[in-house]
Amino acid sequence: MIQPQTHLNVADNSGARELMCIRIIGASNRRYAHIGDIIVAVIKEAVPNMPLEKSEVVRAVIVRTCKEFKRDSGMIIRYDDNAAVVIDQEGNPKGTRIFGAIPRELRQFHFTKIVSLAPELL
Amino acid sequence: MLICYSSPSCTGNLISGSLFPRECKLSLKPKKISLFDFNGCDSLQMVSSQKSMFSCMAVGSNVSEDTDDMYDDLFKKYGKVVFRRNDQKSASAEVDDDAECLAFAVALAKVASDVKAADIRVLFVKPLVYWTRFFIIATAFSRPQIDAIGTRIRDLAEKKYGRTSMGDSKPNSWTLLDFGDVVVHIFLPQQRTFYNLEEFYGNAKQIELPFENQQSFHS
Repeated sequence: MIQPQTHLNVADNSGARELMCIRIIGASNRRYAHIGDIIVAVIKEAVPNMPLEKSEVVRAVIVRTCKEFKRDSGMIIRYDDNAAVVIDQEGNPKGTRIFGAIPRELRQFHFTKIVSLAPELL
Repeated sequence: MLICYSSPSCTGNLISGSLFPRECKLSLKPKKISLFDFNGCDSLQMVSSQKSMFSCMAVGSNVSEDTDDMYDDLFKKYGKVVFRRNDQKSASAEVDDDAECLAFAVALAKVASDVKAADIRVLFVKPLVYWTRFFIIATAFSRPQIDAIGTRIRDLAEKKYGRTSMGDSKPNSWTLLDFGDVVVHIFLPQQRTFYNLEEFYGNAKQIELPFENQQSFHS
């Protein structure tokens, strides 16, 4: 359940460390974003000497949420943190590697690029 | 079933440009592999060497000590395989599927080569990731060429093999075509060096291609 003003960790090596959601892409007045949704976010904290800087506005895909999500098999998964991966307008990730576990649902949401850079899939 | 995944401290001080190799190695830690197997409900298999490393690691981390002990007990009690899903295919069926996918992948690589894609690699990634079997990585030198390669591959897959692709429909600097068991990556030269997928899947077996492969990219 990501909404505007939510702070998220960054799960890639793009150079951003922390994001704040400012808008959810989708319907006009959408309240919450979940795993696999694209958000517009502002970089709150960045790694020095990297291309992305603080207070830059970027797009990001949510890859982990504290709010649990269900699978059809009855499995329920929740993570310890809210995390997102920074992407560009074309949907390519800005970083080259992804950190941490990533749900396999991302492939169904057409984020196979992120899946193919991830170290493990849940 | 409820699975809580405690992600490792992945976004803290680890992120920096020079740490890619270390991150890559991290993904091969046996502890994480075991977690993955358990959560994926595929089968929990662990060789004895991994098991010893597993207990060594438990000494350092008090957070996962309980779960590690629990796993050790389970191994002692039930042996190497704790749980196996009963809808697994037999070994011979798997080999048949692999051969079929290999033929499909080589056909796609051949088509890409016909449209002058350079440095085509076909990687057998099934031992590394569970979600696909083959990667085809190719370089194209312009977006129209990417479009041509993508269209040809899609046409062949649909007409001859009856498979449709997920993924990018428009030419992109990294165009990905997802056929399920075969995933095709078409890069521009700059993106290919930037993402460096071959290095990330460095342990994958490379398939020899039966046709002349243009190596002009590296020269």
